[in-house]
Amino acid sequence: MKYFAFLLMLAICVSLAVLVSKPIGQIPPIAPLLDPNHGFWQNTLSEDQLATEEIDLDNLSAPVEVVYDKNLIPHIFAENELDLYRAQGYVTAQHRLWQMEFQTMAAAGRIAEIVGPVALELDRMTRRKGLAYGAEAGLKFVQENDPETFKLVEAYADGVNQYISQLSDARLPVEYKILNYRPEPWSAYKSLLLLKYMSDMLVGDRDLEFTNLRNIIGEAGLAKLFPEFPTENDPVIEAEKIWDFTPIPVSKPDSVNYPDDPQGLKPLTQPIEGTGSNNWAVAGKKTKNGNPILANDPHLSLNLPSLWYAMQLSTPTHSVKGATLPGALGVISGFNQDIAWGVTNATKDARDWYKITFQDESRKAYQYGNEWKPTEIRVEEIKIKGQEAFLDTVIYTHHGPVVYDRTFREDRVDVNYALKWTVHMGSNEQKTFILLNKAENFADYNTALDNYTSPAQNFVFASQSGDIGMRIQGKFPLKWREQGKFFMDGADPRMEWQGYIPNEHNPATLNPERGFVSSANQHPVDPSYPYYVFDNSYEHYRNRRLNRRLRELNQITVEDMKALQFDDYNLQAAEAVPAMMNLLGDYKTASPEVEKYLKELGSWDFYADPNQKAQTLYSIWSAEVFESIWREFTDQTVSIVRPNSYQTIELLVKNPNDLVFDLKSTESVEHADYHVKAGFDSMLVALQKWEETEGDYSWANYKKTTIQHLVPNFKSFSVANIYTGGGAGILNATGSRHGASWRMVVELGPEIQAFGVYPGGQSGNPGSKFYSNFIPIWANGEYLNFNLRTAEDQDEILFKTTFN
Amino acid sequence: MRFIFLTILSAIVVVFLNPVVPFWVVMISIATLSAIIYPNGIGGFLGGGLGMGLTWLGQCIYLGITTGSSLPDRMGDLMGLGSGMTLIFITGIIGFILGAFSGWTGVLFRKMVQKTPQNVYKG
Repeated sequence: MKYFAFLLMLAICVSLAVLVSKPIGQIPPIAPLLDPNHGFWQNTLSEDQLATEEIDLDNLSAPVEVVYDKNLIPHIFAENELDLYRAQGYVTAQHRLWQMEFQTMAAAGRIAEIVGPVALELDRMTRRKGLAYGAEAGLKFVQENDPETFKLVEAYADGVNQYISQLSDARLPVEYKILNYRPEPWSAYKSLLLLKYMSDMLVGDRDLEFTNLRNIIGEAGLAKLFPEFPTENDPVIEAEKIWDFTPIPVSKPDSVNYPDDPQGLKPLTQPIEGTGSNNWAVAGKKTKNGNPILANDPHLSLNLPSLWYAMQLSTPTHSVKGATLPGALGVISGFNQDIAWGVTNATKDARDWYKITFQDESRKAYQYGNEWKPTEIRVEEIKIKGQEAFLDTVIYTHHGPVVYDRTFREDRVDVNYALKWTVHMGSNEQKTFILLNKAENFADYNTALDNYTSPAQNFVFASQSGDIGMRIQGKFPLKWREQGKFFMDGADPRMEWQGYIPNEHNPATLNPERGFVSSANQHPVDPSYPYYVFDNSYEHYRNRRLNRRLRELNQITVEDMKALQFDDYNLQAAEAVPAMMNLLGDYKTASPEVEKYLKELGSWDFYADPNQKAQTLYSIWSAEVFESIWREFTDQTVSIVRPNSYQTIELLVKNPNDLVFDLKSTESVEHADYHVKAGFDSMLVALQKWEETEGDYSWANYKKTTIQHLVPNFKSFSVANIYTGGGAGILNATGSRHGASWRMVVELGPEIQAFGVYPGGQSGNPGSKFYSNFIPIWANGEYLNFNLRTAEDQDEILFKTTFN
Repeated sequence: MRFIFLTILSAIVVVFLNPVVPFWVVMISIATLSAIIYPNGIGGFLGGGLGMGLTWLGQCIYLGITTGSSLPDRMGDLMGLGSGMTLIFITGIIGFILGAFSGWTGVLFRKMVQKTPQNVYKG
């Protein structure tokens, strides 16, 4: 009996222990999660409560000191670059390990491994786009061509790995505990993969949509509704710039046969509208103190943990500070004791598609000119949590991976399209940032940029010695006019890119007469630039507002530049509202509600401030008007894009009786006023519903700016409904899910004055007090002091750590 | 008396051993303690349970108060349990159950191996 009692109880006890240590469905193991000594309770501790004075770090040549300021911004003081980046890896991992790994898992198409089958389609797309393939090519390129950089990237990885190997269960980031997995070793490859992830986030193409549009509305329709240059072009490089080089000739084939069968394809996901950035620099002659001032605010998805991590990195020869990307070496947007730089996305159709004609079912060869070229087969093994792995066969051609084929987003066997993208070609972006971090002047900056390929960026520059500059840098293919705008025939060698624009022919300017340089994702150049430039996503408002203000302003101070980054002026509304009100006439003015709305719109100063009601009205009204105008146009069975807001408003203002406004489905002839009124009606319905369910329709309440955790299901780790103004197309580009992910203003005087802020916090731990503490500061348009510190500086220190 | 002794020793094990070992090693330790101290069945159950449960409860409360962290509430929300208070309670209960069954198992083990005294006056 006593044997039985014991064995029964032992069985109960063991079963209990097993039950609480195994995941049940999506629920993580409950005991390890709740155990106060190892589980999530340990993540309630903030970094200052866990501070240690000394940490063992192998492979250092000398001790490294890390000083944390009151905002948990680490200032790393090392004797040389190898030690510096080793420590950067360790320190970044201490605060952002889960995020940096998760982002590279996303770039490698490995999310299903963590979250299960729900991410399989996403992973397949990522793999088919060849991001991991590109990172492998990049790694090989760096290993072969730049052993110096490779050593530094390896040192960084070693720092991260030393942290991972010391990591106790208690210190494991809470996301690992909830999702029930552990970090794997970091590697140089992963750092490169992260830069590919940035490319994927920033680069899109509309080749499929334009191919379909060309079939539907023809060349003339495209020229009218999708002109390649806007009427009021205010490009990145000043329009008056004289191009002092002889362009490389590009020959267009006599006849071009575009394949016209891709209509049924479903497009890849594109960078979300609102992804963009501002940067500018003003020369000393326009500033109050006579020093150049540089500003940068990249607009990206607003996420937690924040994409950016602030740091100062110092060796005896240089001190650089600014925003780093967890996982990549050095500072990405920042300044040192001599120069400052910043980045905005320089979009320019960098992806092209080629139709592939396979020899037979086996897909072992494809047609190219008069021959059959062999393909390469890459089998992607996609591990899935809780299921067997999925094997995806991706065919590679010399153009690139065949993304669309019979197994992916296309049912027809004969429709195969390969993606050609500079991301697949070996490159060394990491070197650019390592060199920029220690650049001393414009020449150093140019040398650094020569290594940069993708995603193309507008690099703004200012130096303490008084120079300001801008260079649009990326690996840009040489294209004949309209090459790559539509899907091309991959069997026709004449469709190949004819080389690349040499770096010295990339648009650039130094100390222009107007006293400032700026970029806001608009057209890079004026039509006089001798190479073909095309993209569908150029900005038309932020750039004009920015340049207008920079032209107007004199005696500029840092405060002026901060105000400009937080500028809520809605130029689009300023151009559209008077015309829309005019076209609306006295429509429905008898209603008191309508009268109230019209009064709000009529007295609006066009600033999208958080308490503004008219901005909400405009936002709904304009969206409904555009929808009404293009509803018939976009009502297609195939994917197309509609003309952009700028073009639509231009038509509305200048040609309200144009035929594009007529609805073919009705017998009467409609003009612009029809759509303005229809849009107004829709707005009334939407507003009534909003007021009934949500109440107040002031702008911040309506747009509900939310900074979302990287796992969208982890809602309680996000910060929602932030009271702040701005929106898409506005310098303060803060929409509901996108906006200024980092703001920086630097005055390059004898003593550099720097300010920065981002919507998040230094800690990646949702339990830490440093997780989201910058958000209120950011939302108010305020900044943190980002001045360089010396190792001896004792002010406002949170704690210090020495690595031995 | 033995029950109180077991409660205190179990708590000490959780405080000093648990930070370096996973919860199931704590369970084995409590079972071992219980077998050595040898309270009765209920004493083993309650002693192990209260020792581990109250200590886990105390540790959560201590961390919650000293850090002022919003994480318990965020986790409560994420797990659909409302506030962090519920999680404190659940942690305590889980600790109690694990400790209690370990304590009881220890007692039964001791009972099993204990030789029943027979013929003590013989010879």
